[in-house]
Amino acid sequence: MNIRILEKDENSIKFILEDVDVAFTNSLRRIILAEVPTMAIDDVIIIENSSPLFDEIIAHRLGLIPLKTDLDAYVLPEKCECGGEGCANCQVALTLEVEATDGPMTVYSGHLKSQDPKIVPVSEKIPIVKLAKGQKLVLEAYARLGQGKEHAKWQPVSVAAYKYLPIINLDYEKCDQCGACVEACPREILELKNGELVIGDVFNCNLCKSCEEACDLEAIKISFDDRTFIFTIEGTGVLPPERILEEAVKILAEKADQLIEEMEKVKGT
Amino acid sequence: MKIKILERTDRELEFELEGEGHTLCNLLRKVLLEDEDVTFAGYRIEHPLIGKPKVYVRTNGEKDPLEAVIEAAKKIKKMAEEFREAFLNSLKGSHYE
Repeated sequence: MNIRILEKDENSIKFILEDVDVAFTNSLRRIILAEVPTMAIDDVIIIENSSPLFDEIIAHRLGLIPLKTDLDAYVLPEKCECGGEGCANCQVALTLEVEATDGPMTVYSGHLKSQDPKIVPVSEKIPIVKLAKGQKLVLEAYARLGQGKEHAKWQPVSVAAYKYLPIINLDYEKCDQCGACVEACPREILELKNGELVIGDVFNCNLCKSCEEACDLEAIKISFDDRTFIFTIEGTGVLPPERILEEAVKILAEKADQLIEEMEKVKGT
Repeated sequence: MKIKILERTDRELEFELEGEGHTLCNLLRKVLLEDEDVTFAGYRIEHPLIGKPKVYVRTNGEKDPLEAVIEAAKKIKKMAEEFREAFLNSLKGSHYE
């Protein structure tokens, strides 16, 4: 197994994963989407709401606000000592108290005051509701760790996807530089330069084979390497992308451990 | 994860994996099939929402199928660790650290 990082920034990562099979890559992708825990608001107590939106709509909007997650300080409620009732190890309280005193205003995620300075909205500019003069919104919200399989608000990523590494084969002897494949390629990978066909960014190819269809001479062939993947992750900002991956493999290793343990138990009987 | 053994002989094993899905089962199936002594491995989720996967393993009799599953699980763990190392190394080696 070999990894080469192609791009990385604060929220996203793109890398090449070599010499693994699809089953492993897909497990990893599924774990990232469904099982890496993140923080999100789950319980809301509305104290006063004279805004035009119903309580439940506000609660739903609050739930969808991505919160920066500290996985070292919090545990999943079902794994918590308190038994999921809610304690300082598995729950964070956030409060919101806004009144539109001087005319219409918008309530933003930045108005939420968190009990823990580490657990704050990723962005302060997410609108929650618009208030007219005199309207008021007072509430108490409880955030907890959760998993994407329960609700999408707990997904740490907006994109986690992979594709096979494309291979573009050009037969220069057959090619007559007609340019039909250049026209056909939706990703604009191919280019005619000084009467010669040049392949640009192979990683960008989506394996559509439009170029193959366009070529009457069968000079271009598209194939892929089914043991090499281009893996893309775009986080929502709750966790850094490298942490998301680390957590995902940790979860996979834990699953394997559990399976070994359970099987050893059966073996003894 | 809860395991319920449905059938067990010296060359056949069928069990239910409560609380798991395609994520683990497909990988387990794939790794089991790489074992020379395993002649068949597969799984089935009867209902996409509420089904519990049933995993079935058959060996050629040289190996206890339960042992084959344990070995496969160990291989999966090794793969996960290998990935972790490769990933951390690639982070270190690049200017992205």
